[in-house]
Amino acid sequence: MNKEKLLHKLQAFFDPAQKRKKRHREELKKILKSLKKKERKISDKIEQADDECLKKLYQTELEIIRLQRKKGIDVLQQLRENKDSTD
Amino acid sequence: MPKTLLFVVVPLLSYGFWLSDEFKGIAAGIAIFIFGMLSLEQGFKAFTGGMLERILQKTTDTIWKSLSFGIVSTTLMQSSTLVSIITISFLSAGLLDLAAGIGIIFGANLGSTTGAWLIAGLGLKVKISTYAMPMLVFGVLCSFQNDKQLKGIGYILTGLGFLFLGIHFMKESFETFENTVKLADYAMPGLKGLLIYTLIGIIATMIMQSSHATLVLIITALSVHQITYDNALALAIGSNIGTTFTAIIGSLSANVQGKRLAGAHLLFNLLTGIIALIFIREFIIAVDRIDAALGIAVTDNTLKLATFHSLFNLVGVAVMLPFVNHLVALLEKIFAEKRPNLFRPKYLNPSAIGFPETAAESVRLETIHLYDHGIHIILHAFGLRKRSLSDQSDLKQLIKQNNDLVEYDIDAGYEKRIKGIYSAIIAFIGQANSAWEMKQSPNLALLRDANRTLVEAIKDTKHLQKNWARSRTSKNQATIDEYKKIAYQIVSLIQQIEQFRREIAENELPLLSLDVLKAMIEDEDMRMNRSIDTLIRERKITPETGSSLINDSTYMYNIKKNLIKTAETLFVNDNINAIYIEQQLALNEVEIKEVVQAVDAPITDNP
Repeated sequence: MNKEKLLHKLQAFFDPAQKRKKRHREELKKILKSLKKKERKISDKIEQADDECLKKLYQTELEIIRLQRKKGIDVLQQLRENKDSTD
Repeated sequence: MPKTLLFVVVPLLSYGFWLSDEFKGIAAGIAIFIFGMLSLEQGFKAFTGGMLERILQKTTDTIWKSLSFGIVSTTLMQSSTLVSIITISFLSAGLLDLAAGIGIIFGANLGSTTGAWLIAGLGLKVKISTYAMPMLVFGVLCSFQNDKQLKGIGYILTGLGFLFLGIHFMKESFETFENTVKLADYAMPGLKGLLIYTLIGIIATMIMQSSHATLVLIITALSVHQITYDNALALAIGSNIGTTFTAIIGSLSANVQGKRLAGAHLLFNLLTGIIALIFIREFIIAVDRIDAALGIAVTDNTLKLATFHSLFNLVGVAVMLPFVNHLVALLEKIFAEKRPNLFRPKYLNPSAIGFPETAAESVRLETIHLYDHGIHIILHAFGLRKRSLSDQSDLKQLIKQNNDLVEYDIDAGYEKRIKGIYSAIIAFIGQANSAWEMKQSPNLALLRDANRTLVEAIKDTKHLQKNWARSRTSKNQATIDEYKKIAYQIVSLIQQIEQFRREIAENELPLLSLDVLKAMIEDEDMRMNRSIDTLIRERKITPETGSSLINDSTYMYNIKKNLIKTAETLFVNDNINAIYIEQQLALNEVEIKEVVQAVDAPITDNP
């Protein structure tokens, strides 16, 4: 690691705004993970459901979670891009 | 009247009716009279919010104006009883304040003395009962009109008609009694005569419901020397006290303000009567001097009686007028307004305003308190209790089997459970905002919104309740089913919010999970509209019922959306950072609608 990179890392370590952004990214990743877990669970439920009504209810829930995840991934992407541009 | 008392009164009255036809007539007269009072009050209410207030305000804004109003109106109507009961109904309808009402009553007493002059001087008497029949006919005709003011006039005329008819019935039924009262046979001198004749005057007026009628008797008897001048004066004093009885009956159906006025009427006439009795000698001397000045013959006892009647009422007004405000205070104390048992805020402490986070949390807890009361009202509107929410399978059954036709009074529920707490929250937020100008303000703004959306949900439930209650007696099964669906969907959402609330600690993504409930609302709305269209198309319901259903399904949609909004603010608040991120991921209305339309399938199984 050269001196310049080390300096950047140190600066980032002491910068509260950077720290906040990092925490934000981590929280977001955690939420995305939970959503992924939920998505799998609902998919399993759809497969097991016999009742057509229930199946469609799960389907809607699944679509909602997918869209929420998609939005989350976009936000994470943006945060990463911002991070890269400041580095 | 308490229900238990009915069990005593009804058999007693029935026995009385069986015993005596006169008694039946009197009781019917009183019942018709009270019904007239109610109708009159309803009629005056039609004019509230405009012209009548302006007229009354202009003519009664000072005590002198009220007094003059009372004098003029009683002189024109020739019935202080009528003016006093109309004033009671004005007061009950909130068109007058008590002080103005008292002024009118004082004036009415003075105005009624013109009757004695007319009877004694001109032998005139306006017989009010002859107006009853045309008034009833014109009144009923007007009350069938759609125009609010014409309808109001109709109710007033019908009310007056019934009042007159009631008095007429009472008079007719007492005719036998009236004929047996031979005043000339009982002439009595001195103090004993004064007191006994005052009492006779009171009783006779109470029975005949009109001081005019008593005065006719007195003046006639006096003119043919059947009674002495002294006894006639005592009878006039008695009639002045007895006339308050009608106002007291009138106040039975009135609110506390009406009762206060009837109390003022009784106090004034009683006190005036006592003054007249104590200073009877002085009054007699004064009457002689006044009549001498007016050129009235010393032997003309009937006009002397009219002078006496005017004089002692004038003295009563002069004595009582400076104490009107004291009288108001006394009556307000005697007839204290019963305040409903209101629910009060539990968490709002003024000392918390200095600590922004504590204050915001207090408002949140108080709003949750309010939410619970709001849910109580909404559930009761559909004939359910909060404990009904414990089991979903029971819920459908409960709505299906709910045959309780008693309509829950949402307005009373709102006054009792919401208004006090809601006002306190709004006042607290206002104080906090002006004290801080700081970071908690956005939280408070959200909480204020949560309060507002909850109150909107309650008000929409009120609009919905009318048709919901009506649908339960409908003979059309499709209509009944649709309204049951509406009730089920609202109650079911409340149940799911309650479940969400209970399981919030284990919910990793609370805010995002609410998107599913929001989607459910959109889906149900879509399906409801589709179902109504189908029912109209297949002629299972009339287009009129269809339009009501469309309106009510819109109310339902708004109720559910407002409840979700309130729940979102109130119950999702633990990890602020995570919530901020969840907010970024949560779907907006358009996105939710797109998902629902894409799946386009029923989400829940409705009853």
